[in-house]
Amino acid sequence: MKENSEQIIDKSLKLAVCFFIASAGLWLLAAAFFAYIASAKLTDPFFLSSFELFTYGKIKLAQANAFVYGWGGNSIFAVTLWVVARLAQAEARGKVLLLFAGSIWNLAITFGLLGILDGHMTPHEMLEMPVEVWPALFLSYGIIATLIIVVHRSRRIKDTIAPQWFLLASLLWFPMLFLIAWNGLEIDAARGTVQSVLSMWFGQNVIWLWLTPVALGSAYYIIPAILGRPIDKYYLAVFGFWCIASLAPWSVVHHLEGGPVPMWIPAIGTVMSIAMIFPIAVASTNFHATAFQDINKVWNSLPLRFVIFGTLSYTVSSYIGVVFSLPAVAKITQFSIINEFHFNQRVYGFFSMIIFGMVYHMLPRITGKEIAKSAKSFHFWTSAFGVLVLLLAYLIGGLTHGVLAQQPSLDWASSVISSVKPYFLITEFAFIILAFSQLVFVINVWKAIIPSPFELLNKLSLIKKGAT
Amino acid sequence: MNNLLKFAVGIFLTLAFAWLAFVVGARVQFGDLSPISESLDEDNEIPEDADLFPMPQPGLAELGSSEYLALGCSTCHTQQVRMVESGFDVERGWGKRPSMARDYIYQKHVMLGNTRIGPDLTNLGTRILDPEWLHKHLFEPQAVVPESVCPPSPFLYEQQEFSSDHTIDLFDEENNSSRHLIPSSRATRIVAYLQSLKQDYELPEMAFIEEPDAIDLEEISTSVSDLATNEMNLESSALPTWLSQQITSGKEIYSKALPGGGMCVACHQQNGQGLPGAFPPLAGSDWVLGDKERLIKISIHGLQGEIAVNGEKYVGVMQGFGQPLASPLDDQQIADVLTYIRNEWGNSVSSISPEEVKAVRDSEKDRELTSMWTAAELNNFDN
Ligand code: HEC
Ligand code: HEC
Repeated sequence: MKENSEQIIDKSLKLAVCFFIASAGLWLLAAAFFAYIASAKLTDPFFLSSFELFTYGKIKLAQANAFVYGWGGNSIFAVTLWVVARLAQAEARGKVLLLFAGSIWNLAITFGLLGILDGHMTPHEMLEMPVEVWPALFLSYGIIATLIIVVHRSRRIKDTIAPQWFLLASLLWFPMLFLIAWNGLEIDAARGTVQSVLSMWFGQNVIWLWLTPVALGSAYYIIPAILGRPIDKYYLAVFGFWCIASLAPWSVVHHLEGGPVPMWIPAIGTVMSIAMIFPIAVASTNFHATAFQDINKVWNSLPLRFVIFGTLSYTVSSYIGVVFSLPAVAKITQFSIINEFHFNQRVYGFFSMIIFGMVYHMLPRITGKEIAKSAKSFHFWTSAFGVLVLLLAYLIGGLTHGVLAQQPSLDWASSVISSVKPYFLITEFAFIILAFSQLVFVINVWKAIIPSPFELLNKLSLIKKGAT
Repeated sequence: MNNLLKFAVGIFLTLAFAWLAFVVGARVQFGDLSPISESLDEDNEIPEDADLFPMPQPGLAELGSSEYLALGCSTCHTQQVRMVESGFDVERGWGKRPSMARDYIYQKHVMLGNTRIGPDLTNLGTRILDPEWLHKHLFEPQAVVPESVCPPSPFLYEQQEFSSDHTIDLFDEENNSSRHLIPSSRATRIVAYLQSLKQDYELPEMAFIEEPDAIDLEEISTSVSDLATNEMNLESSALPTWLSQQITSGKEIYSKALPGGGMCVACHQQNGQGLPGAFPPLAGSDWVLGDKERLIKISIHGLQGEIAVNGEKYVGVMQGFGQPLASPLDDQQIADVLTYIRNEWGNSVSSISPEEVKAVRDSEKDRELTSMWTAAELNNFDN
């Protein structure tokens, strides 16, 4: 049997990509579990309160880290590796090394989360895992990134296109960010609130420069691939890319508005956040102008439906984000649970939805097994519903929280927090739905990856028959 | 963009610009601040033998900050009082002035935080002076603030069957029983840390904010009192103006938060009935209607321990309003609020004048403002 070149490439990727997707799925479940516990604790503070392990602060941070590094990291590796190899038309190298580095990455995160739960966290945003695990994380990341770059360098076509820029940039940005933060926080530690500026800069950039470009790159890849038509106004993409590259690193510090740092720091952040309108507009024009030319096909292809949900939510909520960075509004919402809205819309409504779509696109090609349409569609509807409920609750709850907190005469616990409690209850409900939906996703994925025992038996008996 | 190296350099540069500004620039500008006196002399020098601020954290508090960090308390609590134009933190009584970069130079872990599900803790140490309250709150916040969502930390305490010198006794109204807590060393460290949280000094770059927006508040209060006076005039036009003024101002103090208010409403409620089992009623209470001196005393110094009101037993703590909280009530304000509670919800007895409050204050000037009265003590005095 003769295989075409794409099949050969997919075969070379199978082991590593399946490994990353499978582990990403498990982290997603872990994060869902933590998210549920944390939200349940806000509605009933006595829930599991006698276990120190489950105290709110620890669970909350474990959730964010499991989500970003466990689910985010692994799925970034899977998607980047596959898309880069496909576009380069080159086979993966160093499969064993990839698996090895991947295992270290996952082990390091496991220890990191245990460290957080055991009370060894650092006070730095998105760097909460204990200092000891970071060298291992960095090393394994380095190996994986190098191997992906090796694939990219052996590409057949010299010219690169939008998905490659976004994916490779994200691949390179993370270690740069990490080294800068590590230098300023651990090696040559800054004092006082300089630390806070740096850690906030890192924490927000992990979302903006690591997760976001991967999702954008994936969308630039998958939309034309499935629809079979080029990206509309593709010439804008390069402008959009450099806009994000040059604005995002500046825009992330507006969260320090009014805080104990020199005024220019949040002021620049605010201006740059408003300028982010341009790259957001570019991406959404590219995606949606292309997708809406053939909306039936988008609707009927589940992977694409996930991706377009993601890009739409990116557009809408990024604009909301711009509004919330205006000083007059920021004053009200700055410390409210609106922050949860921003985090969840970015990592959930946008990043995860696009990754779900990518995984459903990649897996059948790699494993040769189709995933049942009904299962995918169930996953889509529960996710979409859960995400919408979650985001709306955080948005309205956040506004309520912010507005009431601005009234000095209201008592904190009995007026402000009591009015927000109903929204905590809604988020708890949303997290249950999402946990359920993610369970379906993981089952879908694992079913495709792991050969079912019956098939194995069949094969075995065939081999035996052949032998006799 | 086809050459990977050039591409990498390009995206590194975009990042590096921001890094230069925020990290290197910030560090050069305020990375090596040093402690300073509250104000500078004419030559912009630190005056001789002036105290320097901020002061280093006490050792126990520094240990406590690591425990606080380990429990993830900063996921819900910020430690930054924002600039006046960026929010109402100062008005809320969370600090007498906005926080400055210099305030944080000695902190081992800087935990500015970004979400306020709980109140800001920058100045907790000036707000809550009673370590026992902090222990109770740490053990089970809901025991002292029923609606709280602050997570309980029972694992930091051991419990024993009986009360002793080392225990903190937490009375449970529902079961009419007490729990006796022995704090672990971790709990003690955390409480030491919480008590150490204060930015109660001025800095040359930031003085205390005087009576926040005095004009605005006055405007609001006159409009409120206009309304109230109208009401009052309708109800009881017989009241002399000075009395109705005192009552109006007292009503405002009753429901206003610090500064300038007592927030009595948070505990004793709008209807003066308190909360069964937790806060005693003021309507029809002997303590309110009876001996003026006793009433003034508990308003200035506070009241703790078991008391009986209208035949029901209550055990609780009320901090005094004369003690140096963020801003204590003065004689006039105490007189007003007491006159108000003596003439509301069906109560109707004589008013209390500022002079009477001053007289009690003078006669008790040896008593520390933070030492609360107990019912037993007061009743002995009566004898
Ligand atoms: C789930 C969010 C949350 C977490 C986590 C949290 N708190 Fe709270 N905290 C609150 C809320 C809400 C209040 C206001 C109600 C009250 O006074 O209990 C509060 C109030 C407080 C107060 C009283 C403040 C005042 O001004 O009256 C203290 C002290 C406190 N918390 C300490 C802690 C400590 C120590 C930790 C870490 C073990 C912690 N909190 C973790 C939500 C939280
Ligand atoms: C933090 C809650 C709280 C606030 C605020 C508060 N109280 Fe109290 N108050 C209490 C508690 C608790 C007791 C009972 C103390 C005890 O058991 O020893 C009490 C007792 C009293 C009593 C005596 C008992 C009675 O019911 O007659 C009076 C009078 C009183 N408070 C007046 C005031 C006034 C006036 C204000 C405002 C200036 C005020 N309180 C604010 C909690 C509070």
